Amino acid sequence: MRYGLAAALICAAAPAFAQGEEVQIRGEVIDTWCYFSGVMGGPDAVQGTAHHTCAIWCSAGGIPVGLLGDDGTVYMILAIGGDDQSASGQTQLELASHDITVSGQHFARDGLNYLVIDAVVEDHGITNINHTDFGAVPGFAIPNPEG
Amino acid sequence: MWKYLMPLAFVAAPVAAQDVGPFSEGSEARSWNLAWEVPAFFEAEVVDMLCEVAGDCDNACATGRQLGLLRAADGVLTYPNKNNQGIFTGAAVDLEPFCGMQVEVDGLMIEDEFLGATNVYLVQRIREVGAEEWVTANGWTDAWAEQQPEAAAMDGRWYRNDPRVLAELERDGYLGTGETWQEAWDITR
Repeated sequence: MRYGLAAALICAAAPAFAQGEEVQIRGEVIDTWCYFSGVMGGPDAVQGTAHHTCAIWCSAGGIPVGLLGDDGTVYMILAIGGDDQSASGQTQLELASHDITVSGQHFARDGLNYLVIDAVVEDHGITNINHTDFGAVPGFAIPNPEG
Repeated sequence: MWKYLMPLAFVAAPVAAQDVGPFSEGSEARSWNLAWEVPAFFEAEVVDMLCEVAGDCDNACATGRQLGLLRAADGVLTYPNKNNQGIFTGAAVDLEPFCGMQVEVDGLMIEDEFLGATNVYLVQRIREVGAEEWVTANGWTDAWAEQQPEAAAMDGRWYRNDPRVLAELERDGYLGTGETWQEAWDITR
């Protein structure tokens, strides 16, 4: 009886975390607004080196970052390694445009995919070298060094 | 005459269908001329995304966490990716004062099946249910200026002067792969 009550209290005190699906995913850290909205062009142009500066701006500006998986699925990132600063946070800022392999919890809700990243298993760096195809996106991302 | 016009009407119909959606009635949202935008005005509860999706609620509504809109009419969780400012800014700062409250919002919903975008929202204005006055979702730059007064006093847009942005560009360059400023400029011309 006593143990049963204690167990019940422990359960009541424990954080009520939802159980996501354990996953390991590789993909690129993108800014989701430019990707989803098409505001700056097609999806291939708003990732990689072409869009790196804008990805930094958007991450610093509080636009949600996502992981564009190798299969084309976008996972909205809600936390990275215990850092819950998903709006302008430093951890995600330093990973802008990086190709990373992560482990964590996957959740699906009302048509969108979400990711709570437990750990960045490997940071492959920036591997999508696409400025040769698209230049800088947007075009004003790189100011003229001569003013 | 009509038999020639009818096919044209069918061709035009899908384009017209993008103009309105199930929550467009009453919306006064300004168009951004986005291909898949739909005006959307609805009532919702402002919720902490990490709490709502993953049950991690200890710091719910704290500054720096993303916030969502749990729509009253159908319980659908919509994700405001963008506020009303045209300068790379999200919506969490504008929604934070309303976290946990029932609000009305007006803005643009993005629905692009090809990219998997659904229930992605650009919020333009917010008010608590029952309030008369709307709050325009333009608060990000003011909040940033309070945190970064020296950068805010400089000429130019926030993203040209933000110290965290500048540190990232200093570290890896404008393309992220180590080119100098001049090199990045030259190879993207």
